[in-house]
Formats: sequence, structure tokens, C-alpha cells
Amino acid sequence: MGKYQIELSKAMELLASNDKTVFIGQSVAVAGTAMRTTLENINSTRLIEMPVDEDFQMGIANGLAIAGYIPVSVFPRWNFLLLATNQIVNHLDKIKEISRLKIPPKVIIRTGIGSVSPLHPGPQHTGDFTEAFKLMCPNINVVRLDSYEQVVPEYKLALEREDGVSTILVEWGDKYAD
Amino acid sequence: MDTKWTVESLKNFESEIGDIFNSGKIKAPVHLSDGNEEGLINAFKNVSSTDWVLCSWRSHYQALLKGVPAELVKSEIISGRSISLCFPQHKVFSSAIVGGHVSISVGIAMAEKNNNSKNHVWCFLGDMTSETGVAQTSIRYAETHDLPITFVIEDNGLSVLTDTRNVWASTHLRYEEIKSSKVVSFKYKSKYPHAGAGVRVQF
Repeated sequence: MGKYQIELSKAMELLASNDKTVFIGQSVAVAGTAMRTTLENINSTRLIEMPVDEDFQMGIANGLAIAGYIPVSVFPRWNFLLLATNQIVNHLDKIKEISRLKIPPKVIIRTGIGSVSPLHPGPQHTGDFTEAFKLMCPNINVVRLDSYEQVVPEYKLALEREDGVSTILVEWGDKYAD
Repeated sequence: MDTKWTVESLKNFESEIGDIFNSGKIKAPVHLSDGNEEGLINAFKNVSSTDWVLCSWRSHYQALLKGVPAELVKSEIISGRSISLCFPQHKVFSSAIVGGHVSISVGIAMAEKNNNSKNHVWCFLGDMTSETGVAQTSIRYAETHDLPITFVIEDNGLSVLTDTRNVWASTHLRYEEIKSSKVVSFKYKSKYPHAGAGVRVQF
């Protein structure tokens, strides 16, 4: 296991240390993705396996946040997250303006740029839309985790910030072995 | 439910908003209700003050019936926020995006169930929205997980000016074909257009 993957596991345990966090997505409670390997130390009661319907999943995350939880909404690849764009751009990013809550509900979104080695899954699994989402979501902190040193500090900030700002954290699939 | 509201008083509230809109004093779209008063009053008989109410862009009546003070609702509408009225202190949230509030409602219901609370979630949606994928998914998920949520389908047969049943080439919608313990519905006809109050207002 490389440093990047180890740091991601530490970051997930840090998130789970807060009683309000709940992890939702496909392959969070069962094996199936590389991301799942970083959730293996999390109590299964905190992991909610979801049907594959990204916009639905993200709506649920927004609802959980409105009701007081800190959902960690997991999308294994950017290309999959694109299907949740409505709930991220039209709702989560606008919730403060619409609700006029000083501290709006926040969601932590985890996604990744698909690995290209040893298998290259092609253009529908390897997109990086970090810069596009920075433009589309001026109220969400979008961070690409280019080095393992960033991982825990960025997740710590996402969890502990008290201004209600949500975060999208982007990881590199190819760095798991680093 | 705020029990002071009647069919007549709701109509009067909306009529006043229509007059204000037609005078050009509201610099944003409004979506007025009419004809659904009785259906909503009946639905709200089961809504408690601690319950959640999630709505679409047409939500004046729901906010009033939930107990948001009329002057506050009116102020928000005049301020230009009619299509996404939110009153967090009253647990009322709206979205101006088709289906946007539906899956959010499910998330809130999931939270309430996880908390072992007695609070219920009421999700109000129109007939066209009820046919969308996210609505179908949300209803099914709520059923199979027995979440504390009721979807209230307000069926006026139209989405803007599009006839819902015509575009689906079906005389019946899914909620009429497949009964769900999580869904209640009623039909109505409105005198108002989709947006505005019948007078062209230039901004």
C-alpha cells in the first residue's frame, strides 16, 4: 500500500471520528473500487451502500446535510459525478443564497480521476473536471489532491471548518501505489 | 398545520400577490396557486410543526399552511424569492429545479429515521415531476426502506403548457397505475398561467 492510499485511509478515519459523518455511495460498504480499500477500517454502520443513481445519491447527501449530518458522498470517478451535477451546482452550491442561512449545511464530496495504468479504461472513466467545477461552483471548495501530503490536511479542513462551506476532494487513481 | 387558513383566505393571499405582481413591483417570476387549496388543506391536516415540508417553485400555500407568518411569506415573495422559498426555522425548503427537492426530501427522511425521530417529511410535487426518474427512484427507495416521508402529488395535468399525459402518450400516470403507501394525490385546475398572474409585465 502506497503513502497516498495510506493517507486516504487516515483521512477517512478522521472523518469517521465525527459522529455526524456518514459515508454514502456505491462500493462504500462492499468491495468494488480502489476507494473502498480506504474505508475498510470504518464501522459498517457509518457506510450506506446506494443504488447507482448519482443525482439521487447527491440529493440524499444534501438532505442528510440539511437534517444535521455531514455526509461524505463518494463518486469513484469524475465522469460518474457528472451525473450528480444538478444537485451539486443547482442545490449544494446555491443553498446558502437560497436559504440565507449564515452557516449552510455542508457536504464532503469525494471523487477521483480514474487510473490509466495498468489498465486504461478509456475517455469515459479518466476525466478531470476540477477546473470546470471550480468555475461552476463558486461557493464550494474544490481541491485536487496532487500529493499525499495534502490528503489529511485537506480532509481535516473540510471536516472541521465551521463556515458551512462544502468541499469536493479529487484524488488520482494512479497515485494509490505511490 | 396553521389551522387559520381556509380556501377563501388562501385565495385572497394569492390574489393579492397577483395584483402586486401585475403592478410590476415584484422583479422576479412568481408561480401562483389556485384550485389546489382544498387538496393542500387536507394534506396539511397531518403535518405537524416539527415536520419537514419540501416544495417546488410553487410553494406559497405550503409555506402558509406550515405556519410561516403571512407577512414573512409576502415579504420574501416581494423580495424576488418566490420560486425558491426557504424558511429553515420552519423546516420549509423549496427548489426551482424540476425534481430537485425530491431526492433531498428522501435524504432528510433517512436522517429522521436514523435519529429514531417522529418527524415526518412531506414532499410536494407536480404531475410531470412525478413521472421523472428521480421521483420514481425516490418513491421506490422510500417504500423499500420504509422512510418517514409522504409524496403529495398535485396533479393539474400540465407542466407549463405541456400536457403531461399527452407527452407520455398515456391516459394514466405512474402514480395512478402503481399505488404506493408513500404517495397521496389530488387533481385540480388553476386559473393562473404557469408563471405570473395573467398580465404581461416588462422589467
